[in-house]
Amino acid sequence: MDSSSSASRAASTVLTRPSVPRAALVVVLAVYALLAATTTAFTASANIVTALPIVAMVVLVLVLWPLRARPLRLGPDAGHPWRAWVIVFSAVVAWELVEYAARGSRADHPTFSSMLDAVNRFYGLKALVFFLWLYLGAAIVRRGGRRQRRARRRAEA
Amino acid sequence: MTSALSYAVWALLGLALLAVWFRSYAPGSSVARPGVLLERMATGPFLRIALVLAWGWMGWHLFAR
Repeated sequence: MDSSSSASRAASTVLTRPSVPRAALVVVLAVYALLAATTTAFTASANIVTALPIVAMVVLVLVLWPLRARPLRLGPDAGHPWRAWVIVFSAVVAWELVEYAARGSRADHPTFSSMLDAVNRFYGLKALVFFLWLYLGAAIVRRGGRRQRRARRRAEA
Repeated sequence: MTSALSYAVWALLGLALLAVWFRSYAPGSSVARPGVLLERMATGPFLRIALVLAWGWMGWHLFAR
């Protein structure tokens, strides 16, 4: 076995194997989502289990994110890396507004949230959607503070 | 009939989103990966505020209200 193939295999193992803190985070978020999915919308318990992650998010953002934002900048040779995303998300928002404003019943003109309401009637699917929402929140917190952590690590080295 | 059209458009939009997602992982792709996109939004001076507010609103709207 040559050294380059073993090195690339080792690198891919490192990339694909989740770290212990991340695996622990996933387990915690999954357990919380399973618990939160037992609640019913428009009740105090649903309000509490939804409000707790929002409060946690605000606290984490205030603690972990730099006060002054330094936007991620890609090099001039990056082309238009955001264009495809902007086009698709703009189309989604436009269609959501068209459906929301359309005359007729919500069954005839489903919006994104009305479709997710239907999904949320099933416990397992609701737990999955709740988990994805929590995971997205965790990813936002991590990505927002990542460059500051990198800069701090570089300064310490 | 109208709901079929609506769901068809939603399905197309979902497919477009998946296509962009997979395209971003293609070798040499000019499309930013989802993580990079999220990092750009989370580090923008105004975008990061909008992002956190949108995330919170989405959760409240979907699960509490």
